[in-house]
Amino acid sequence: MSSRRPVVTGLGIITAAGCGVSAMWDALRTGRSGLGPLTLFSSPRYGRHQVGQVRENVDQLAGDVRGSRSDKLAWIAAREALRQAGLAAPLNSPRAERTGVLLGSTVAGMLGTEEVVGRLLRGQPRRFTPLRYHECASATDLCARLMGARGPTATFSTACSAGALAIATAAGLIENDELDVALAGGADSLSRLTLNGFGSLLLLDPDGCLPFDAARAGISLGEGAAMLVLEAEETARARGARILARLSGWGASCDASHPTAPDPQGGGATAAMQQALERGGLSPGDIGFVIAHGTGTPDNDVMEARALRRVFGGAAPPFASVKRFFGHTLAASGAIQAVAAVQALREQAAPANLGFENMDAEIGMEPAREFQSRPLEQVLSNSFGFGGNNVVLVFARADSPAAAVARGVRERPVGDPLYGKDGTYGTADVRRRSQGIPLAVTGAGLVCAGGHTVAGVRSALAAGGVTPSWLECAAPFALGRMRGYSCGDFGAEEAIPAARRRRLGRLQQMALVAAKRCLPQGLPAGLSPERVCAAIGTGLGCLGETAAFVENMLNNGERAPLAGRFANSVHNACASQLAIEFNLRGLNSTSAHREISFEAALWHCASQLRQGRADFAMAGAADELSPYTQAAGTRWGWWDENAPAIRPFGSELTGHRRPLPGEGAAVFALARADQASAPLARLQSVHFGRFAARADGRPEAQKEAAWIAESLERDGVPLASVDLLLSGSNGWPRWDDAYGEVASALSVLRGEELSLGAYKQAGGEHYSASAFGFFVALGLVGGQIEPALCLAGNPSAAAAARPPRTVLLYTLAPGGSRALCCVCA
Amino acid sequence: MQSLTDELKGKIIKALNLDKITPADIKDDEPLFGAGLGLDSLDALDLVSMLERDYGILIQDMEAARQAFASYRTLEEFVQRNRV
Repeated sequence: MSSRRPVVTGLGIITAAGCGVSAMWDALRTGRSGLGPLTLFSSPRYGRHQVGQVRENVDQLAGDVRGSRSDKLAWIAAREALRQAGLAAPLNSPRAERTGVLLGSTVAGMLGTEEVVGRLLRGQPRRFTPLRYHECASATDLCARLMGARGPTATFSTACSAGALAIATAAGLIENDELDVALAGGADSLSRLTLNGFGSLLLLDPDGCLPFDAARAGISLGEGAAMLVLEAEETARARGARILARLSGWGASCDASHPTAPDPQGGGATAAMQQALERGGLSPGDIGFVIAHGTGTPDNDVMEARALRRVFGGAAPPFASVKRFFGHTLAASGAIQAVAAVQALREQAAPANLGFENMDAEIGMEPAREFQSRPLEQVLSNSFGFGGNNVVLVFARADSPAAAVARGVRERPVGDPLYGKDGTYGTADVRRRSQGIPLAVTGAGLVCAGGHTVAGVRSALAAGGVTPSWLECAAPFALGRMRGYSCGDFGAEEAIPAARRRRLGRLQQMALVAAKRCLPQGLPAGLSPERVCAAIGTGLGCLGETAAFVENMLNNGERAPLAGRFANSVHNACASQLAIEFNLRGLNSTSAHREISFEAALWHCASQLRQGRADFAMAGAADELSPYTQAAGTRWGWWDENAPAIRPFGSELTGHRRPLPGEGAAVFALARADQASAPLARLQSVHFGRFAARADGRPEAQKEAAWIAESLERDGVPLASVDLLLSGSNGWPRWDDAYGEVASALSVLRGEELSLGAYKQAGGEHYSASAFGFFVALGLVGGQIEPALCLAGNPSAAAAARPPRTVLLYTLAPGGSRALCCVCA
Repeated sequence: MQSLTDELKGKIIKALNLDKITPADIKDDEPLFGAGLGLDSLDALDLVSMLERDYGILIQDMEAARQAFASYRTLEEFVQRNRV
């Protein structure tokens, strides 16, 4: 019996229907909608719309927590979930290292950012503070810090399925034995951007959504947060925690058809549901109830009904959308549905589809009309996002037997050593067996100030880096000229046909060009699209498109919103364009977690390949320069405006103590080593998490060294075999020193000096810079880049004599994150 | 009439970022969507936005715009009738 199976031990929720699980359940039981007037902010155009606004005083409930409204909602839900799970914050070692936070976020701190932009546009005195909480990672880092969690921690931003993806990802980390406990869920506040954005798509129903009804006319936006404490069954049992339910299956797919609209045939939704059933060893007849995505848009509900028929045939289980209770809460939505599903299993009752009166002939199905007691063993929950990012979760009653075992042998994924003879995942020692499934990197594509080819990057490194260009820090800041590592004209005109390019923002074009350089011949022949996954990291998403939409909205009093810009403003706009370009229908993930966004994306792909869920993967990252990053970074002292260039480890020589901003995209192709022809290198290891901080905020070097050694050891890489530590050093003494200390600690640990290198001199500092570092690492182990070129300006390093066979890419983020990837020749 | 044609075609090109298209490429009686210019549903929404910004025409339901968006000519007639 597998003991790594993920179980739920805590629930927390805050929505328009109230704060806390009991308030939520009370609303579902009594059929009370949380929709009401918008009072959070004024909206000239949509002010009279019904919305799912949280009515409690969020600031008061959150206590003395600083952050955006989304951050506070997240912490309120997290606190409730942790309390129920009996996990007192802050956690102590060793539990802290085995506890992670995985959240979905889409709106994040946009509500505060809108206020900052509004003041700028009106010429009022500048306020930058809300921008500190702008990023998707803000809520995740807040929860992790308050909990004291140091295990794998990341944020996913696949629009409306992000919360569900975060839960599925947490489950994968638990199964893989990388985590024992995870706080997983999603949070999003209302904002003018989303209200105007969905308005621009003509997808809002002013009077409140009517999911699956013949008269449905669009969504109602909502806000809220929901959190699960997910835990390995063995850990939960060992500490005597009460098990509320099990997560029995999950599936993820991509429509690969349109940036915002669902595939009308529901192909992606069908695939995700089938995958979730298969993963749980379930047949359609096992599902007792479906919590539908059911947004209330004409298209979604028809598509979803079609998909339900495709999965369940004529015998679809009763189903309901809960969107009229809470509104569509975007990244929180999947997590809110998960809490509702778990509660339904506990109460053995299921909600009604509030707002439904008349059946639509095109839908041809009737959702549950009444809240009703039902015998429930398994409840399935659907989440479908922009970009066709579909995620399906299945929860099982706590004491229901593991379905796969109950059914006996089922077909196991082809050649997968992680599956036991009875078809269940991880029945034996996963830790032992997950080692040594080497992956191959079979392609690499780059858009970077330092060049677009490995030869170009080599020249840039040989010259000691590239010279940043002078860039205008444009409106609404108008700070004049600043230096930055711009990719300039990166070849989009040649690479992307005009008809396609005109619809894409700059960041999407960068990612697409990098992807095409990675796979100049397209995907290898013979792949099934359903078994190709993609994951793209982006710390800040499509800033240019987002800024254009928000500035237009605020300048014009919400008149004439720009629909195309809104479609491009979501973080997953890059990954979904890749899916459309290459027809990638497997898991499609977007991670948005500051400097480790790339590593989280790479992990997602690696884990899909290792678990036999995909045969091929594209992983990468992209971030763009913007007046906002230039201005905010300048204000906060991230950039040294007077520095002529980035000189890693060079602050004493140059006198400049800060880096300069940059941008870039890199995309890599991955496959299992035994299935790859002509690999560039092996990807042996990828891990991420949070470091143990000293009082001054820097990592404790010995603990970092121990974590690195342990992680590598686990993946079959002896520390002694590492030839070079390629660091994110950028000339900021505090972090350069931290890298130096970790390298020294590793040298002591293995009894041999470890060379320390850097790469940001050739691409600039940005959230996707480590993807460029990965490109450099491939050049190093491939023999195209001499290691000495990366050691420039590092006075303590002894130049490596031989071409490195094993390179460790190591990233520290000021926000507390750390990540490593290891590539071998 | 001619001046509205030039103006409107110019605005369509700008709103939809149709780089390589000239006003002469937009044929009066060819369908705007699908074939012809190869426009899609997001383009339709960006046209809705342009009509509101530049001609004060508020469209809240795509069904209402469907006929107007049939061809360039129907769109121009729609603008003539409804501009404020």
